[in-house]
Amino acid sequence: MNDKHVVRMMGVTKDYGEGTGIVHALRGIDLELHAGDFITLAGPSGSGKSTLLNIIGGLDRPTAGRIEFEDRDIGKMTGSELSRLRKERIGFIFQAYNLIPVLTAFENAEYVLMLKGVPSTERKAKIAGLFGEVGLEGMEDRFPRELSGGQQQRVAIVRAIASKPALVLADEPTANVDSKTGGALMDMMAHINKEHGVTFLFSTHDPKVMERARRRITLKDGMVEGDTR
Amino acid sequence: MIRGILPEATLVRLAWRSIWRNRRRTLITLSSMAFGLVLAIFMICFQEGTFGRMVDEAVRMQAGHVTVMHPRYLTAPSADLFVGNAGALRARIERLGGVERTKELVMGQGLAKSAVGASGIAVTGVEPSGELAESPLPRHILKGRYLSDGGRAEAVIGMELARRLGIGVGSKFVVAVNNINGELDEELCRVCGIFSMGSEEMDGYLIQVPIGFARRLYGLPPGSVTCLGVVLRNADDRFDVIGRISAMPEARGAAIYPWERVIPEVSGLIGIKRASARVLLFFLMFLVLFTVFNTLLMSVLERGREFGVMLALGTTAARLRAQVFLEVLFLNLLGCLAGLLLGSAIVLFLQSKGIDISKIYSSEVSISGFAFDKTLYPRLTGAVLGWVGGLAFSVTLVLGLIPVWRSAKIRVAEVLR
Repeated sequence: MNDKHVVRMMGVTKDYGEGTGIVHALRGIDLELHAGDFITLAGPSGSGKSTLLNIIGGLDRPTAGRIEFEDRDIGKMTGSELSRLRKERIGFIFQAYNLIPVLTAFENAEYVLMLKGVPSTERKAKIAGLFGEVGLEGMEDRFPRELSGGQQQRVAIVRAIASKPALVLADEPTANVDSKTGGALMDMMAHINKEHGVTFLFSTHDPKVMERARRRITLKDGMVEGDTR
Repeated sequence: MIRGILPEATLVRLAWRSIWRNRRRTLITLSSMAFGLVLAIFMICFQEGTFGRMVDEAVRMQAGHVTVMHPRYLTAPSADLFVGNAGALRARIERLGGVERTKELVMGQGLAKSAVGASGIAVTGVEPSGELAESPLPRHILKGRYLSDGGRAEAVIGMELARRLGIGVGSKFVVAVNNINGELDEELCRVCGIFSMGSEEMDGYLIQVPIGFARRLYGLPPGSVTCLGVVLRNADDRFDVIGRISAMPEARGAAIYPWERVIPEVSGLIGIKRASARVLLFFLMFLVLFTVFNTLLMSVLERGREFGVMLALGTTAARLRAQVFLEVLFLNLLGCLAGLLLGSAIVLFLQSKGIDISKIYSSEVSISGFAFDKTLYPRLTGAVLGWVGGLAFSVTLVLGLIPVWRSAKIRVAEVLR
C-alpha cells in the first residue's frame, strides 16, 4: 500500500425511490482507497455494500457528494467516459462469475484486452501466463458451462486483472464456492495484489475473507461503521 | 462502425455463437421466416404464372402484345376506322428482333340471324392458318373444324350462340353489319365449327371468319385492317417494340398500343387481383415477420444480465448494439436464404409439373371472357425472388432495430443486482 489514493469519496449519498418510499442506501460516505490496498467491505444485507461498489465502479451515480477516481470526478463523466474508465482502470469480479456464455474460458479472459485493442499475440501471451499462474492450463477452450464454479471464478479473476487495472471490485467473490475453493481464490487474489500491485476491494460476509484483508471497512445502514487496518 | 471498437472477427464470433445458443428457438425463427417467404413466393409465382398464361392466350387470340390501329379506333371501334395498306408496315415489323409473328385483324360489330332468332355478335376476321398455329381458339373447337384460308363465307361460332340461333355445323346464317359507308350489308355464312372457350362472353358473342370475308363484309379495301397485332417472344419487350414501330414511316398516322390498352378489362382485372393479393401477402408476411421480431426481442431481453456484464467491463453501447445488429443480420440472411431456396425449389418443381385444379373447379374458370386452362403453371422470375426477398430482409432488418436499440438500454447496476 502507498499513500496515493485511487478512490476518494466525499459525502456520497445514494437514494432510491422518492417521497415516503425513499430508501437511503448510502448516507454520506467519506472514504479513501489507496493504491495497492487489499480491503474488505463488510456489513449486513441492505447495508449498502453493493451500492457502494456500483458507485465506485461507475455503474451507478451518487445522489449527492463527490467521488474521484485517480483524481477525476466520475460524477461528471459521460456514459462513454465511464465506459472507458471501466475498461482501462477497473476490473470486476462478480459473485455469479458472469462469464460470457458463448465465449471460451480463454476468450472470456482476453475480452477486456480485446476491447482495449491489445494486439492478438500480446494478448494471448498475457492470458496464457495468467492462466498458468491461476492453475487454468488445459481449460482454455472450455466454455463456462463446462467449468466448475471455482474454475469460472478464476477465469473471472484473470479477466479482471488482465488489463492491469488500478482497482478490482469484487462483489462477494467466494460466496458461490466451497470454503476450500474460496480459500484458494483468496490466496490467488492476495498473490496478485502482492505481485502486481493491484488494489482489491471485496464485499463479503465471509469472516475468513475478512481475516485476509489488510483493511476492513464495515457498513451499516448506508454509513461507515468501522474502518480498521 | 466496428473497426476501432473491437477486432471484427471477435464481434462476428460473438454474434454468430449467440444466435445458436438456443438452437431450437433459432431454428423455429428461421423456419418461420422461410415459411413466410415460401408462402409469398409461391402465391406470387402462382398468380403471375396464371396471369401470364391468360395474357398470352388473350393476346394471341386477339390483337397481340402490341397493336397498330387507327388513332380513334380504340375509343370508338368501328370498321371505318381502319389502317390501309398494312402489308408494308407488317413486313417492316416482322423484321424487328423479338417479334414472333404479326396478325392482321378486321374487327367489328354485327347481328347474326337465323330462322330461330337473332343475336348481337362481335365479328373477328382472322388469318386462319396463323390462328390455327398460335391462337387458343382453334384448340377449343368442339364440333366441325376451324376456318380455312381463302376468304370463304364461313364462320366458327360459340356454343352458346349456336344454341341461341338454333344452328349447328353446316348450317347457314345471316351476318348483318354496317359497312364502312354506313350502309347495312348482309352476307350468308356457313358454320364450319363450334367452339367452347368456357366463358359466356366468348361462347355467346364471338364469331371468327376469314379476314377476306370480313373485308368484303365491311367493305374494306384489300390489305386494310382494323388492327395489326404484333405477338412478341417476350411480353416485357412491348414498350421497346412500340418505340421502334413508332419510328417507322409506314406507321405514321397510326396509333400503337400495348395490350393493356387494347384489352383493358383483362389488365384492369389483373391489376385489381394483383393488388388485393399483394395486400394479403403483406399482411401475412407482416404477421410472420412480427413473430420473428418477437423472438429477436425476447432473445435480447432475456440477456439483460449478460449485456450488463459486458457494459460493466467497458463494452460501449455502440459495440453492444453492433453485436446484436449482427445477430439480427445473420438470422435475417439465413432465414431469407432458406426461404428463397425452398420457395424456388417448390415453384420450379410445380413450374415443370403444373397444378391440376380440375378436381377443385369442375366448372370452367374464366376472367373477362378469357378461360383458364385447368392445369396451372406458376412462373418463377428473378424479379419476384428479388423483391420478395428484399422486402422480407428489409422489414426484418427494420423491425430488428428495436431489439438492437433495446440491447444497450439497460441500467447496469440494476441488472447485476
